[in-house]
Amino acid sequence: MTTEGMTLNGDRTSFQWVHGGDAVAQMATTDLIDILDAVEVPIVLVRRDFIISCFNQAAADVLGLAPSAIGRASRDIPILAGLPHLEQQCSRVIAGGVESRVDFRDGDRWFVVRISPYPNSGRQVSGALLTFTNVTAFRGSINQAVYERECTKAILNTVADPLVVLSADQRIQSGNRAFYTMFGVSRDETQGIPFHELGNGTFDLVPLRSQLEEVLAGNDAFQPVEVDNIPTPRGERTLILDARPLSFPGHSERRSLVTFQDITVRKQAEVAKDLRSEEELRRSEAFLAEGQRLSLTGSFSWKVATDEITWSEQLYRIFEFEPGTPVTIERMNARVHPEDVPMMNERIERARAGGADFEYPHRLLMPDGSVKYVNAIAHGSRDAEGRLEYIGAVQDVTQRRASEEALGRARSEIAQVARVTSLGMLTASIAHEVNQPLSGIITNASTCLRMLAADPPNVAGARETARRTIRDGNRASDVITRLRALFTKRDPVIESVDLNEVAREVVALCLSRLQRHRVTLRLVLADDIPRVAADLVQLQQVILNLLVNASDAMRNIEDRPRELLIRTDLDEQDQVRLAVRDSGVGFDPRHAGALFDAFYTTKSDGMGVGLSVSRSIIESHDGRIWATLNDGPGATFWFSIPRAREGRIGAHGAMPIEGRS
Amino acid sequence: MPRERPMVNSRSLVSVVDDDESVRESLPDLLREFGFATRAFSSAEEFLASDCVGHTRCLILDIAMPGMTGPELQLELRRRRKEIPIVFITALRDGAVRPRMLESGAVECLFKPFSDTALLEALDAALRTS
Repeated sequence: MTTEGMTLNGDRTSFQWVHGGDAVAQMATTDLIDILDAVEVPIVLVRRDFIISCFNQAAADVLGLAPSAIGRASRDIPILAGLPHLEQQCSRVIAGGVESRVDFRDGDRWFVVRISPYPNSGRQVSGALLTFTNVTAFRGSINQAVYERECTKAILNTVADPLVVLSADQRIQSGNRAFYTMFGVSRDETQGIPFHELGNGTFDLVPLRSQLEEVLAGNDAFQPVEVDNIPTPRGERTLILDARPLSFPGHSERRSLVTFQDITVRKQAEVAKDLRSEEELRRSEAFLAEGQRLSLTGSFSWKVATDEITWSEQLYRIFEFEPGTPVTIERMNARVHPEDVPMMNERIERARAGGADFEYPHRLLMPDGSVKYVNAIAHGSRDAEGRLEYIGAVQDVTQRRASEEALGRARSEIAQVARVTSLGMLTASIAHEVNQPLSGIITNASTCLRMLAADPPNVAGARETARRTIRDGNRASDVITRLRALFTKRDPVIESVDLNEVAREVVALCLSRLQRHRVTLRLVLADDIPRVAADLVQLQQVILNLLVNASDAMRNIEDRPRELLIRTDLDEQDQVRLAVRDSGVGFDPRHAGALFDAFYTTKSDGMGVGLSVSRSIIESHDGRIWATLNDGPGATFWFSIPRAREGRIGAHGAMPIEGRS
Repeated sequence: MPRERPMVNSRSLVSVVDDDESVRESLPDLLREFGFATRAFSSAEEFLASDCVGHTRCLILDIAMPGMTGPELQLELRRRRKEIPIVFITALRDGAVRPRMLESGAVECLFKPFSDTALLEALDAALRTS
């Protein structure tokens, strides 16, 4: 094999035009070789027997062919060996005289290799000419487009909301995965079908179709449409449909993109919530109504400017008005007890004038003549425009008032029983106290008569006995007065009272009893204690009760003196205190708390109401009553009540306290 | 009236023991009108300490008194073997008291206030027993 290496351009040896025939000499001109070398596309000529015949400069530069490659088989040259099926391709081209193209990758580079018959100008084909066109850049952009498309597809398929593209005649073109899943259909079976046939015709709605037409005409103003009860494999759904026009550069046909938002769950939750809040509202209303019914309390609102009045059901019941009928102040006034109307009007006028809260008890006179006691409470407030409105409640306290009155009566009766009991226990004392002066009176009067009947009459003696009669009569009268004050049932009167004085009076009543029981009494009364605001007779009852108890506690004491000490002083809380200390049997400390309970008694003949009534009396005076065991034998009973203050005592020195006894 | 009663020694001493002053004031005057000699004492102890115990023909004695009571004085006199007829007087109107007093040897038990005739009858009875 002959090798004719032609080096053009002096020392340049890279282009080796290698030929094995005489024909080459004719065509190998210097110009041609220069032109070939100037071409940037690598060109390699391969002979019929796959031996590299020659290549240009670009083949050396781009493919790295060395001059030694000439005359060697193409499969022995690494880069050409990488061309798949090169020998078969070349054989086919040489045999068929038709060029072929092969994609060829060399590392990062992509080439399109054109294999063309050589020569191709009618002469016999003796080889194949390989031209390598570098398509790396072009190929990259193709890849990028494919990649972008795949990404978009992936994104669209990842979107949970169904999307579908409609053609200009509203036929389904293509959807994302969510679309096909939602409606349980495949791409193939929906391709080209009219959109309104989807979902069993649930989308066949005039507003939807007309709006889609608008969108396909390029109008972007689609108002989302909510469609209910759409049949899907997951049951009936509620979807919100939105659409926007799609247009593509270079494409004249308009399309529209329709999106579906599945709000079924939200909708169900809303319905459930509506139901629930409705239920809650209903329940809270029921609670309120029941609460109002049970507490006999009605509520109202009163817009002062317009006299607009709203009543709760219970308030209608209290006033005995037909429920729901309009309420006016005049209508309310017609129910108010005539005696309370002036006060009511005055309160209403005052409420109109200012936003102060108000509370006033009043009475209602019902059509059947019965009287209801109600208490109205209201809170005034102003809205943003400064309009005054009262929200309030009216409670029917008739029942409670009746109970309180009954309780008051019962308490008063118990107190009376206690008084009578005390009376029973004190019968001896009373009889003694009254009978002593009576005895004197009768004896004196008898003596007087006898002296006058004597001959001569003893006038001086008669005068003396008559004088003594009068004195004893006054004595008896005093006793009666004291007793009557003590045992008469009457309303309590609060006045300024000297506790020492009360103690002395009670002691005076009990003295003979105490003496007979051989009780040594000592009074230690502080001179400087303030007066107290109290009901005199009630305090007498309490002290009398404590003295009787103390005396009874010492009834069977024989081994020690029966000593009774009554002491008054001002305690640390600035309250006036009285203590009754005995040397009797005391009490069981375990029952200290029960001593003042009604019907607790340690006495076989006692009723046990004495101390409980005493407690209720002292507590009604805002005081306290208690008992302690002495260091030595016996017990001490104490009570303390507040000193009299300015204003506690009425203008006339006395005022009744309601509901107390 | 005393003159109509020969059995009653007009100078017989009737002693009164009562803690109530009005009784001590009024009763002796009436007794003197009846014609008796009389002394009044405010307590049992005072009477026992006096020189009248021996020659008192009748004792008008209050039941309830501070210190020694009427019945206690009665016991004390019995103990001293001084059997003086006793008319108890009491302001305590208790139905159970009178039978008890009569049982214990009293001549009479009068409830205050009592009439002059009731007292005189009791004194008559007392002086008849002595």
